[in-house]
Amino acid sequence: MVIMAPHRSLRLLLATGTVAASLLTTALAAGSPARAVAADGAAGADEGDGKTVLTVAVSQSVDSLSPFLAQRLVSTSLHRLTYEYLTNYDAKDARTIPGLATAWKPSPDKLTWTYTIRDDSTWSDGKPATAEDAAWTFTKMMTDENAATANGSFTANFEKVTAPDARTLVIKLKKPQATMTALDVPIVPKHVWEKVGDFSKFNNDKQFPIVGNGPFVITDYKVDQYVRLEPNKTFWRGAPAFDELVLRYYKDGDAAVAALRKGEVSFVPNLTPAQAASLKSAENIKVNDAPGRRFFALATNPGARSKDGKKFGSGHPALLDPAVRRALFHAVDRKTIVDKVFQGHAVEGEGYIPPRFGTYFWKPEGAQKIDYSPARAGQLLDKAGYRKNGSGKRVGKDGRPLDFRILCHATDPNDKAVGKYLQEWWGELGIGLKVDCLDNVSDPWLKGDYDLAFDGWSVNPDPDFVLSIHTCGALPATPKDTGATDNFICDKQYDELYAAQAVEYDPAARAGLVKRLQSRLYDTGYMNVMAYPNAVEAYRTDHIASITTMPAAGGNIYGQDGYWSWWSAKPAAEADGGGDSGSPARLWLVLGPAALVLLAAGVFAAVRRRTTADDRE
Amino acid sequence: MTSLTWTRRRASVARFWRRYRRRRAGLYGLGALVLIALAALAAPLLVGGDVQSVTHAPGTALEPPSREFPLGTDQFGRSLSGLLLWGARVSLAVGLLAAALSVAIGTLIGVLAGHYGGWFATVAMRVTDWFLVMPSLVLAIVLATVMSRSMWTVILAIGITSWPTTARLVRAQTIAVESRPYIERAKALGGGHRHVMTRHVLPNVMPLVLSQTTLCISTAILTEATLAFLGLGDPTVVSWGGMLQDARETGAVSSGHWWYLAPPGIAIAVVALAFTLCGRAVESVLNPRLGAGR
Repeated sequence: MVIMAPHRSLRLLLATGTVAASLLTTALAAGSPARAVAADGAAGADEGDGKTVLTVAVSQSVDSLSPFLAQRLVSTSLHRLTYEYLTNYDAKDARTIPGLATAWKPSPDKLTWTYTIRDDSTWSDGKPATAEDAAWTFTKMMTDENAATANGSFTANFEKVTAPDARTLVIKLKKPQATMTALDVPIVPKHVWEKVGDFSKFNNDKQFPIVGNGPFVITDYKVDQYVRLEPNKTFWRGAPAFDELVLRYYKDGDAAVAALRKGEVSFVPNLTPAQAASLKSAENIKVNDAPGRRFFALATNPGARSKDGKKFGSGHPALLDPAVRRALFHAVDRKTIVDKVFQGHAVEGEGYIPPRFGTYFWKPEGAQKIDYSPARAGQLLDKAGYRKNGSGKRVGKDGRPLDFRILCHATDPNDKAVGKYLQEWWGELGIGLKVDCLDNVSDPWLKGDYDLAFDGWSVNPDPDFVLSIHTCGALPATPKDTGATDNFICDKQYDELYAAQAVEYDPAARAGLVKRLQSRLYDTGYMNVMAYPNAVEAYRTDHIASITTMPAAGGNIYGQDGYWSWWSAKPAAEADGGGDSGSPARLWLVLGPAALVLLAAGVFAAVRRRTTADDRE
Repeated sequence: MTSLTWTRRRASVARFWRRYRRRRAGLYGLGALVLIALAALAAPLLVGGDVQSVTHAPGTALEPPSREFPLGTDQFGRSLSGLLLWGARVSLAVGLLAAALSVAIGTLIGVLAGHYGGWFATVAMRVTDWFLVMPSLVLAIVLATVMSRSMWTVILAIGITSWPTTARLVRAQTIAVESRPYIERAKALGGGHRHVMTRHVLPNVMPLVLSQTTLCISTAILTEATLAFLGLGDPTVVSWGGMLQDARETGAVSSGHWWYLAPPGIAIAVVALAFTLCGRAVESVLNPRLGAGR
């Protein structure tokens, strides 16, 4: 008889090895004894040559280093660090403070704004930063559609931007605009950027160092490996204390935490509850648990459409019925999500803007509030004509069962966890749910091929942007285009309120309008905020002596609205070999044998294979 | 006639069992498999279907092993020992189905290529070679990424990537069988392609296919665990690889929650080992030359 080639057993060994190796690496990473002086040149706070390096573990990929395209948190944070904006937010209470502009003044009719540009800000190539640079940046965004991709909402209402002299910037508006002291637009050097041809393709990642005037200068970048920044010695507010800032990629959260324990990185954001709990007892590590800037919401497809009125996508028609949406939200127990999924590291969801921004925070009261009540959800569905059939499934009048899909980010454990709860809560109502976890949710999302989706945005101190993404104006021009819209919402009443708040200069009146806006968004029932996740992060106290949180009292460090955390971070005097706690040793005791068993299985198979090799034909 | 056939078959099964019984490693493997299979089948009776429910989870998050939860709890407060039992069902089902699919494809292509020969065999074997040199794990990852996330995707991905070895083996065996005189006699008596392949070739390659299947299962279970561990399985289905992935995402590794990590890992190793032991024993029983010395 002819027996199988030796090849197969090698594969078995390899497959065994893969699982064993993955276990082994994670175990190794977690368990090996701590060593403060890292082998890699970029790691650790204290280097042989006396250079202090602040290493931050990140997991989000940079979408673009061009300020005209970047939308992700990691990229916009990098731009905060490398370019000055006209204004900045105070670290203590997020009020507007001078940035590139030292003073600003509206005309009596509020349609002409005059900014005084500071004279002590220079680009990192030595040229002075002037009003001309700012005027060019804004004009470019107004005239070139490709340059308006990321921050176009700020300049859509600009009529003309001029620089009468190097210290004066004049912006003429078509109608009043409330965000004039919160223009979150990086100002770029004209002499570098006017050479750029196609703004939709230029990612600003070819020539280093990247010319900027922020507290840091990007000196090197490798996709999904690291971003290296050096302090800008001539920064007008004073140069940062660390000699180098490195954003290093860890796609695996546990690997990042292990690196923190070993002292290879100084800071890790986005901890899971289990990681935070175990790091609390670790030596030389401080865990920071602060109210977050984000909301975590359920979005329902309101029937995707474009500005030209074309409908597209495959959203479930039953979700167009307000009663169905209300019933779905009635069956979501937000308290359980906060307690079980976030294990207390979150605040229960209410309105749209997180409570951290107290001025604009709004929450539904009384009859308006969709509280947790499965019984009420059942009644609503019965009344709307979705009755349970023989097998306990709700079926519409058209005979189509209520079976929904939900888009989930495969990389986000919270999405998957909440998906499990939703499946059970809605399952009891007789509604089916398929959790579609994808690495890339953008494609089906932009095509409108979803019923529900997990949604979340970081909110700025000025809420204009997160409000603008639900207006009709944000819809894509045609089904083929990409709009700024979040969830294809287009509501006349919402748009009227949005327009009213955008032109309101009185802060109290504007806050009132923003609250009414959130109330309207809540009533449309297309978005339901489940939680405001906390920012849970940890840093090594033997690397970082002090760091500014925002707000100063109990605020977060990663992804701030300014550059305060990394700019203010002071290196610790001497990084001594940080000892590790005992738990990883115990982990080794168990994981070691487990990995050994796996390896043994592979080796055993290979050996058996070899001993019979002589007998084979 | 039928009673005669049955007597003969019963006799050959008894002979097979007598020889198999002599292989100690094979018996250990079989014993372990029977135990695990029984536990997996009886899971609904032993722990109840409620064990997968997150809303009715009895414990709190990540409890260490205790009397109530022998293997502790996961991040939802579900009993890990219960999940381990339920995971066995998925891991075994995927392993068996994927191995069956892979061997079925391999046998079909092998027999056809061996029987017809000529240009068809050349084309089929070049395709086989192409699959053979492709790193199968990478191909499986690509397939699992492109298709929607479900258990069937994983089965398909494993089945499609692991058939070439079987195809080559079966083709060789088919050629060996077809060169025997009785095939020539069958052809002379008017036996068509179909008759030769199903009545003469297939029964003769069956022993090979059987041992190949047993050995394939352990590969399939390991691949399933690897895919699930890499996050390519169905996140709503509890499997051993998926449990490892959940543990990693929860941060159990760096937090030292070994009770979440070790049991599924050991279970995967034990089942893969048991199938390998059985496969080896079957192989040596069916091939007297191989098994003579043991």
